[in-house]
Amino acid sequence: MSFETIVKVLVIEDEPGLRDSIRDYFTEGGNICETANDFESAIQKINLYRYDCILLDITLPNGSGLDILESLKANHHPDGVLIISAKNSLDDRLHGLDLGADDYLTKPFHLSELKARVMAIVRRKSFNGNREIIFNEITVDLLAKQVEVSHTPVKLTKKEYALLLYFIANKGKVISKNAIAEHLWGDEIDISDNFDFIYSHIKNLRKKLMDAGSGDYIQSTYGMGYKFSDH
Amino acid sequence: MKLIDRYNRISLLVTIAIIIVTGFVYYLTISYILTNRVDRDLVVEENEIFAYVKLNDKLPQVFKSDGLKIRFTASATDSITRTFGNTLFYNEEENEQEAGRMLTSSVKVEGKTYRIEITESKVETEYLIRFIFFITLGIILVLLTLLLIINRILVRRLWKPFYRILEGIKLFNVADKNGIHPVASNIDEFRDLNMEVTAMSGRVMNDYQSLKGFVENAAHELMTPLAVINSKLDTLMQVGEMTDKQGAIISEVYDTVGRLKKLNRSMLLLSRIENKLLAEPEIIDLLGFIEHKISEFHELLAERDIVVNQDLQPCQVTINRDLLTVMLNNLLGNAILHNIKNGNIGIRLNKNELLIANTGSGTALNEQKVLQRFYKSSESEGSGLGLTLVKEICDNYGYVFNYNFKDGLHAFEIKFQ
Repeated sequence: MSFETIVKVLVIEDEPGLRDSIRDYFTEGGNICETANDFESAIQKINLYRYDCILLDITLPNGSGLDILESLKANHHPDGVLIISAKNSLDDRLHGLDLGADDYLTKPFHLSELKARVMAIVRRKSFNGNREIIFNEITVDLLAKQVEVSHTPVKLTKKEYALLLYFIANKGKVISKNAIAEHLWGDEIDISDNFDFIYSHIKNLRKKLMDAGSGDYIQSTYGMGYKFSDH
Repeated sequence: MKLIDRYNRISLLVTIAIIIVTGFVYYLTISYILTNRVDRDLVVEENEIFAYVKLNDKLPQVFKSDGLKIRFTASATDSITRTFGNTLFYNEEENEQEAGRMLTSSVKVEGKTYRIEITESKVETEYLIRFIFFITLGIILVLLTLLLIINRILVRRLWKPFYRILEGIKLFNVADKNGIHPVASNIDEFRDLNMEVTAMSGRVMNDYQSLKGFVENAAHELMTPLAVINSKLDTLMQVGEMTDKQGAIISEVYDTVGRLKKLNRSMLLLSRIENKLLAEPEIIDLLGFIEHKISEFHELLAERDIVVNQDLQPCQVTINRDLLTVMLNNLLGNAILHNIKNGNIGIRLNKNELLIANTGSGTALNEQKVLQRFYKSSESEGSGLGLTLVKEICDNYGYVFNYNFKDGLHAFEIKFQ
């Protein structure tokens, strides 16, 4: 199994519905997900504990998420920070990234996308120099961008590679077809009426992996989406 | 027609009419007065004759005198009515007929009735009248011309503030931050107009801004509930057992939320572009950018067996990177999604223009409507804002965006200059 299976995440978000969904999505599989719903409790938490990644809403009761970010950076805390905000004003985004946030995700988002982004931050932040993701017999070399199944190289296209990483980051979860399409092609293009090409992509990826000797991990679930899982 | 021309035309016509009428009255009056004077001369002459006859009981000797002739003729009848009349006066020196005035009267000398005809030339009078008439006419013409010129210059100067206010109204754009600038004038009417127009532009801009603010806030506020719905659907999907029917319903709800999200984002982006709340542009190599985009869409193209014909030459544009992305995603995305199987897309880029043409439905889109907000063809499932966004971005950078349909190709063209 991969070294990054267990991650500790703090969600700073005042909207209870969203906060709970994120927590539910992240806590499975031994991951730890703590929550804070306002400025003060968030400051308390980040002063006491360290997290692999902090999910930070900008607009909070009694304060701005950007101030929390500044406080983190002022104290040289190494936590990864992913800003989640309804505002997608470019200024806001640039400002957040200037202050040292690792990534920025605009509301509304797919939980699978959030998970993939968080995992990417955690990987970048990890100090053990391990640039590999391992899922059973599948090994992904992040530096060389190469995939091996039981030490047999598998030649994947760029999109197939991205798709595999996305699946592994969300292993055991059902990922909607929309989330996959948006992850691969961005969300500005209107492709909601045409998911055929996603199907053929997934079919290709599955075939390549299985041809190289991996298990059949990708399943279609009730027409809603796909799940990457070994059971 | 300009106000001043209209005014001049009317005032000129009225002036000319009045001058003609007064000219007549003037002529008649002077003529009457002068004729009266001549008549008085004639009466004086007559009285002199009567006085002479009474004293000497014989007709006076008739002398030739300038402009005056007296003639006696024996009359058969006694009854000669005394009358003044116009006649011709023969001037022997000049040897010509002149206008004259004649008094016909009678006198009795030694029981015999004589007709007296005293005639006086009116030529001097006529000269006088003509002289007065021409001088007057000349003065009136000079006066009129002067008045017209003065009016023109003066009125133009007087109306200057008005034209400046008008210019301000013409240039006024609600989306602009600066309204109509006040114009200094010491004429009450213009000052009032100016004040009202300035105040009105301020009100309009305020209303527009608050409306825009409302749209933007509404779109923003919708994002959080949408995020909640989206995340709950993601959570719902993780629930183990369900039927395919339930799965299909969740899928549909998910799609709809996705559409709502895109619509909202497009609205926010539109209002941001209109409010010019954009980050600085940068110089971008469009050739490389387009090649990258085409490779990004490679799978979508392959899926439908669409062939891309490229004719790309180096081109640099100064534009915000995110907006360029939005623009090309929309144009290329449309070219792919509204294409047919085994269709093709032609992309031509040079220093002056970018042209993207694709096969698709055989009929032209409505050129006027295609760029309108929320317009979409019947088969499109898009937000209807895609091309509007492209148009707005082009407008923002001074590019010209066009659609046309030729030889079965839908062509969208951006001219950079």
